[in-house]
Amino acid sequence: MSDRRRIRLTLVEGAGPASDSGLWNHPDYAPELFKDITYWEDLARTLEGAGFDAIFFADTPAIRADTPEARAHALRSGGLPRLDPAYLIPVLAAVTERLGFVITSSITYDHPVALARKFTTLDHLTGGRIGWNIVATNVRSAALNHGLTEQLPHDERYDRGDEFLEVAYRIWNEAWDDDAVVRSRERGIYVDPDRVRAVDHDGRWFRVHGVPISEPSPQRTPVLFQAGSSDRGRQFAATHAEAIYLNANTVAETAHLVADVRARAAALGRDPAALKFLPRIIPVVGGTEAEANAKLEDYVQRSNPESAIVTLQQWAGIDLRGRDPEEVLDLADLKVKGINSEHAADYLRRSARAGERFTVGDLIRMYAFTGGAGNVVAGTPEQIADTLERWVREADVDGFNIAYMLRRHSIADFAEHVVPELRRRGLVSDAEAGAGGTLRERLTGGGPRRAVRDPALNRL
Amino acid sequence: MTGRILLNAVTVNGPTVSPGLWAHPEERAHEYTSLGYWRALARTLEAARFDAIFFADMLGAYDVYRASPAPALRQAIQVPLNDPTLLIPAMAAVTEHLGFAVTISTTYDQPYPVARRLSTLDLLTGGRVGWNVVTSNLASAARLHGLEGELDAERRYDRGDDFLAVAYKLWEASWEDDAVAIDKEANVYAIPEKVHDIGHEGPWFSVPGPHLLDPTPQRTPVLFQAGSSERGRQFAATHAEAVFLNTPTAPATKFIVDDIRERAERLGRDPASVRFFPKLTPIAAATDEEALERYRDFLSYSSTEGIFTLLGAWTGLDFDDVGRERLLAFGEKAQTRGLVESLRRDDADRQWSVDELANVFAFGTSQLSVGGPATIADAMEEFLDETGADGFNVASIIQPGTIEAFAEHVVPELQRRGRVQTEYGPGGTLREKLGEDGPHLRDDHPGRAIAATAVTA
Repeated sequence: MSDRRRIRLTLVEGAGPASDSGLWNHPDYAPELFKDITYWEDLARTLEGAGFDAIFFADTPAIRADTPEARAHALRSGGLPRLDPAYLIPVLAAVTERLGFVITSSITYDHPVALARKFTTLDHLTGGRIGWNIVATNVRSAALNHGLTEQLPHDERYDRGDEFLEVAYRIWNEAWDDDAVVRSRERGIYVDPDRVRAVDHDGRWFRVHGVPISEPSPQRTPVLFQAGSSDRGRQFAATHAEAIYLNANTVAETAHLVADVRARAAALGRDPAALKFLPRIIPVVGGTEAEANAKLEDYVQRSNPESAIVTLQQWAGIDLRGRDPEEVLDLADLKVKGINSEHAADYLRRSARAGERFTVGDLIRMYAFTGGAGNVVAGTPEQIADTLERWVREADVDGFNIAYMLRRHSIADFAEHVVPELRRRGLVSDAEAGAGGTLRERLTGGGPRRAVRDPALNRL
Repeated sequence: MTGRILLNAVTVNGPTVSPGLWAHPEERAHEYTSLGYWRALARTLEAARFDAIFFADMLGAYDVYRASPAPALRQAIQVPLNDPTLLIPAMAAVTEHLGFAVTISTTYDQPYPVARRLSTLDLLTGGRVGWNVVTSNLASAARLHGLEGELDAERRYDRGDDFLAVAYKLWEASWEDDAVAIDKEANVYAIPEKVHDIGHEGPWFSVPGPHLLDPTPQRTPVLFQAGSSERGRQFAATHAEAVFLNTPTAPATKFIVDDIRERAERLGRDPASVRFFPKLTPIAAATDEEALERYRDFLSYSSTEGIFTLLGAWTGLDFDDVGRERLLAFGEKAQTRGLVESLRRDDADRQWSVDELANVFAFGTSQLSVGGPATIADAMEEFLDETGADGFNVASIIQPGTIEAFAEHVVPELQRRGRVQTEYGPGGTLREKLGEDGPHLRDDHPGRAIAATAVTA
């Protein structure tokens, strides 16, 4: 099977009671499973057995709510509690050999020295299976709880992020040579100090001077993931990311984003095919099409319209509270404040200008499961595999970030029924096959380390 | 005194636990990047009925000796050093009772994410986590984190007080016990009115809240501290439930134990509820003779460069500059005085080599106990009788060899004497296992009153 055709699979999880679907209140959903270590261990084994490349933990380091109404909704709907997902990784790594782990960490509040040490430690403990989903946090309550009086303007968050990455690259790639740790009884030295050097950085945001204290890990730089879909976010992804999560509503919209980021990467001197794109998909698997559709209808009926209303408020600045579901919305002049995630609004505005009509009810249904209804793929295993193949063909994506409706059940459905179908078609590698031990090797087909000629590192 | 002797094992997430001993053929600490190594150590400690493992930590390289990080690198003294907090979940997964005390600095981090990290660990360990609260005084760490120089001690502790005030409010005052309702019919996971913002506005931190986790088994992790300066002792008396000591002699230990207990009592706390763990470095074997043989073997690996690196960091003195007399005087103040005196008796006019002087400190500046089961057990009992301390922070010379020898030879002897537990106590949390207390902060702990000042909304 050629690597180009292989479908990469990650599962998106959250270290809290509710998943993206918002269906924690479904009779078959056990919202307290996240507190049970054996749930996570079993999940990791299931994913590894099914040939998943990684489990990805989405995260926000604060309550996702900037208004009293949103705060109350977030608490009622299981938006909190939320564990720090980094601490699940050592547990999952201990029961697996190949599965990768991607955790979200913010470049808005962390310090690059502390973050670099965290990822180096995790890369050591996982044997080179760690990835970092870089986010520029856009939640005001996060800013206030992390010592800022106001959140940074959108573009400035990414400017800070560029400098953050520069410091982190230096720590990971420049401070310690591969052969710095000699452990030589003959020479009486553990580390050769001539092969370790200080980082000296004086920038707008950070001043870092001295020897970073961790030795190089298998991948040095964790595999870098990114999900920004704004203009500045896409430029950031094209500069730094090796894998990109997408959350667009349609195949066409996904194709638009993929082509744009690949072009930006090429303009920066990177091989555009080296970037791996993973749109979010929520599979709803049935033995028959009718069974799958019945399941989906059950989920839609149980979904909480308030969730969609809050999502649209936060993502696109649209206030649908108390409005008639039949009301047709005029979105052609939709404007958003710069600090919010601007892509959702941009998509709706462009669609409206292209002649599409959206009612209040349409939008609520579209955003019922946080994201777009276009992400939901209901059908038989064969139909779902067909759809995934169509996305690969038409949108030039490299795999999928699988989200789930019901914790444990939906993942089991996908692993037991859809993955074997994908495997039959030669689209998913056998669990034992696959490239070398590190996440970077498995995901990109390259070496364990980021290439030195990579423009992101080359600019240093 | 015949109470139970509490046992912690002290270590770091790095390859060396004693200067130069990385070269010893039995030393396995270089496997520190492997989960299997740490999981095996956790099982060993639990089998020996240790109460907890304590991870010391540093955020920069030691560079006082010869004004350079090169000696620390050459001997791997606290560098390389990985984040110890991330070892805990994997070690907790293979144990049921062992506690985990971990060092996190209040000097560079923000309290909001640190409170979340510790609550996550408390949940994943089933309430077995402790936090060694430190204020960082390492200049190299300050430069790495963008601070011009270190904060002076007064300001570090002020920041630490404010940091803890935020943490208490998040842990104790943000979520009510019954805030999580999980009412699927009513579509209510948590009741918003029972999850409170904390509205903290302090001299160092402004944190509105709410906390990101619902109450974990202990809410507030067991608080450890190790400061021995006057401001540090006041800080410990205010916050600490357990105090680590690295004092050289029994009288020096007793002075700090008494002083912190008195200060705690003046703050309205039961002085006995503050527990003290002086450091003990045991070289145990079946007999005194074999132990002495081990000691000589270990000493042959000790590294003068590594010892001076540590001493430089601890004292701020570059022993490359200050000369032998100063070092000898330093040795005479320490517990090692007996060793110094006996060496002088043997040959009063002898010119000491630097290596010989350094070896006085080969295994630290605190209690070194060498011997068979009865010798070490006697020394431990005597030390506790003299000082009023509650247990020991057992340090290693090689890892896991030191702990394995202690577990094999000394723990059974102490168990026979009724001083070390043969089974763990019934409570599930570290706080319950350490004493008579419940899973949560005691009512007389100042953290309770501080948390009550949260402007809950």
